[in-house]
Amino acid sequence: MIESMANWFLSLTWFPQMELASVKLLSVLLVGAGLFAFIAVNAIVLVYVERKVSAFMQVRLGPMRVGPYGTLQTVADALKLLLKEDIIPTLADSILFRVGPFIILISAIVAFAAIPFSPTVTAADMSIGLYYIVSISSIVVVGIVMSGWASNNKWSLYGAMRSAAQIVSYEIPVGLTLLAVVAMAGSLNMNEIIIAQGGSSNLFHWIPLPLPNWYMFNNPFLFIAFFMYIIGATAEINRTPFDLPESESELVAGFMTEYSGIRWALFFLSEYANFTLVAFLTAVVFMGGWQSPFETIFAAKTSLLVLLALALAWTGYVKTKANRLSIYPLAIIGLSTIAAWLFPGFAIWITEPGLFWIAMKVLSLIFLLMWFRWTFPRLRVDQLMYVSWKVLMPIALFNLIGVATWMWLTGEIQF
Amino acid sequence: MTEESIYSQLSAKFGDACLAFENEASHNPGALIDSTKLMDIMIELKENPAFAFDSLMCVSGFDLGEEAELGMIYHLYSVSLNHYFTIKTLLNRTTPKVASVANMWRTADWHEREVYDMFGVIFEGHPDFKRILLEEDWEGYPLRKDYVPAEFYRGMKIAKER
Amino acid sequence: MGRLHTEEMILNMGPQHPSTHGVLRLKLITDGEIVSHVEPVIGYLHRSFEKHAENLEYQMVSPFVDRADYIAAMNNGHAYAIAVEKMLGIELPPRVEYIRVIMAEFQRIASHLIAVGTFGLDVGGITPFIYCMRERELILDLFEMASGARLLYNYIWIGGLAHDLPAGWVEKAYEFLDEFDFHVEEYNRILTTNKIFIERTADVGVLPVEVAINYGVTGPNLRGSGIPFDVRKNQPYSFYDRFEWKVPVGEGAMGSVGDSWDRYMVRIEEMLESAKIIRQALDQLPAEGDVKAAIPKKIRPPKGAEIYSRYENPRGELGFYIRSDGTNIPTRVKMRSPAFSNISALNEISQGWMMSDVITILGSLDIVLGEIDR
Repeated sequence: MIESMANWFLSLTWFPQMELASVKLLSVLLVGAGLFAFIAVNAIVLVYVERKVSAFMQVRLGPMRVGPYGTLQTVADALKLLLKEDIIPTLADSILFRVGPFIILISAIVAFAAIPFSPTVTAADMSIGLYYIVSISSIVVVGIVMSGWASNNKWSLYGAMRSAAQIVSYEIPVGLTLLAVVAMAGSLNMNEIIIAQGGSSNLFHWIPLPLPNWYMFNNPFLFIAFFMYIIGATAEINRTPFDLPESESELVAGFMTEYSGIRWALFFLSEYANFTLVAFLTAVVFMGGWQSPFETIFAAKTSLLVLLALALAWTGYVKTKANRLSIYPLAIIGLSTIAAWLFPGFAIWITEPGLFWIAMKVLSLIFLLMWFRWTFPRLRVDQLMYVSWKVLMPIALFNLIGVATWMWLTGEIQF
Repeated sequence: MTEESIYSQLSAKFGDACLAFENEASHNPGALIDSTKLMDIMIELKENPAFAFDSLMCVSGFDLGEEAELGMIYHLYSVSLNHYFTIKTLLNRTTPKVASVANMWRTADWHEREVYDMFGVIFEGHPDFKRILLEEDWEGYPLRKDYVPAEFYRGMKIAKER
Repeated sequence: MGRLHTEEMILNMGPQHPSTHGVLRLKLITDGEIVSHVEPVIGYLHRSFEKHAENLEYQMVSPFVDRADYIAAMNNGHAYAIAVEKMLGIELPPRVEYIRVIMAEFQRIASHLIAVGTFGLDVGGITPFIYCMRERELILDLFEMASGARLLYNYIWIGGLAHDLPAGWVEKAYEFLDEFDFHVEEYNRILTTNKIFIERTADVGVLPVEVAINYGVTGPNLRGSGIPFDVRKNQPYSFYDRFEWKVPVGEGAMGSVGDSWDRYMVRIEEMLESAKIIRQALDQLPAEGDVKAAIPKKIRPPKGAEIYSRYENPRGELGFYIRSDGTNIPTRVKMRSPAFSNISALNEISQGWMMSDVITILGSLDIVLGEIDR
């Protein structure tokens, strides 16, 4: 993308004559700024969404006062945080204290460089994209330990130590599950992984249930790997039920206890950036990224009808069980079904790959993780480690071997 | 077992240490005992299987007046036998001292500290003897009838009662 | 090379901490995450209740009593009223007794809802807390209808009640009871049977029966250890002997008897039992009766009269030791608050557990600092 952007700049007639290297640098800066803007806006939106989702799950209304339906609440909060006094405790290690949040934020932003937003838009379409994301996002640990240690607060230190142990431990099962996909795709390039998931096929190529040819439906081992990755990723981004580093009922606020104002906002920003990153990674690796789940227009129309039937059944179930009318899933699916059958343009549009589909997948995953957070209690430290080393690790190794065996049996690899 | 029979057995064993059986004014009948013999009587009440007072419900201090004695009252209950007894003892106002039962009933640990906090009764043999509700450097024992609050506490003026 | 020098760390949990349920300070001696000693430091909320009571008439003490345990004000007022009435030998009209039982049991449900909800919060689940508060709000509405206040009611007076029930109150109370079982089912689905919740609470902080009795632990905490001891059954006061209900005890369904999960479960079951009592009391409630008929003009118990009266508060045995000198002012009012004894057992049962477990155990003991410090 950098290359094409630089070439585009050079093709402009009014553009001043520059060397190719400087134009490339300019493009890199512009792309970086774009990513940062994306992350900032994304965080503001996600904070609002999270508050609303949690509110609806807890029979509350959530923010309602600032702007229509409280939509400007997070903007107001962000402004407040910007204006707040920047407090650095007297006994804190001032330099590390300042640097910590930036390291966390930078590692989160930089990782987005390899994320494919659509078939054409990838900031840096590198051949080792997946490896790059996994490695660069683990730098977060350094920042967390740094800020936890520099705060000179026992609670912060506890949070930092827990976080370090947790992220480092969960890297391993997460890495192993991703490795299974890499073995399947034969590439570390994000776009190639997505392209390999095009079209549709039967579930596990075997059960006669036509589904998109995503890796999560490709074979039973990757199906397990998908759920393991969700668990591991939840732990890596420190969200409930694995939010021990910042468990508010135990450690006050963990490693961010001593932070306030804009520095604290940076933590928040990076938290939501990581959150989105994980959702993107899951969507790309297991759910076909920007690929449309519908191979043909006919498939789109019939699938939507099936979905509509499911939504109707769900609404009926909720109505009989809890005497509540769950209208939104029915309305959304119903409207899209009608649109797909009535307007051929819409039907064609939803079968094309693009930003829409990856955004839908990412948003559903984000909703899933929010749902986790507002439902589950928190694990204890030793239970967390137990889950990582004694449950996820063996299964991940087994999965890796299983995927290899599957590939051998289906003839994808030969010895 | 009724309170009367508990008292008669106690007075048979300890003789003079049991001063009186109180059941008229009090709704919880019990024995008024000599404070020096408190420990022996309490051990008897707890260890004797006929009494088996495994639970000490409450330890309270009280003050009979500016000139009179301080009192201690122990309300005992047996969960296993479902009977009650009360032990009351009077202490000298100038040097109130009594044996601690905190090692027998752990309830007494904090309750005795509270009595010390409020009445200044010294409990001998208490495992962790210090004030509990008030600050360590608080002057005086507030629930004594002759208590006069200090003017200042760490430079802060103490509000006078109207 | 010598061995690496390590030492234990002293960690101050509180007085400002989200999970100490008030201004409690725990001095933790920790070895990494493992806690080797817990010392509760109390007194931050000391409001000299007993000193105040020395200078106030009997009637004037009862609002102070409400403030001791602000989560269960109705129960505290009831306990104090019963103690003074016993000293005076007052007989109450049946309607008063029934209304008192109804109020006390509603307050017990409200208090247990907070206990259950905040326990969920301590373990990390935020949603159950909000669910519990939703139902508590309905109970507070009922209290507000009857007394005009939502937290500190001063509704139960010595010898009677402040007001009779307003019109329509009984119907609203029935309405609440009809819905309540369904809501308890909701708590069970979201919290009680949650695998993570069970992992966090089962077998954690086991309180053996002997230790519990020795420390004077009472109420749901003692019953969680498997002893069906309840003052309402063992030494019935008011009209509790007229109702059919059972005393739930911990059975170790998820771990061993007396663990945090058992203490939690006892509270859930007690809420249902209380609902049963309320329903019976509402059915039997006499239509006629002046709630102020038995209120004495002057309260002067005989000189030297003393009483220790036991009462089953949501947190355990609430005792009032009251001593009279023949005037209208008590010489001594001692409040034996249940949470004061319950929390003294904290060190015993949380040694060797992790820091997160100390919070779980503290939450399962259900303390109210207003009552501990008085």
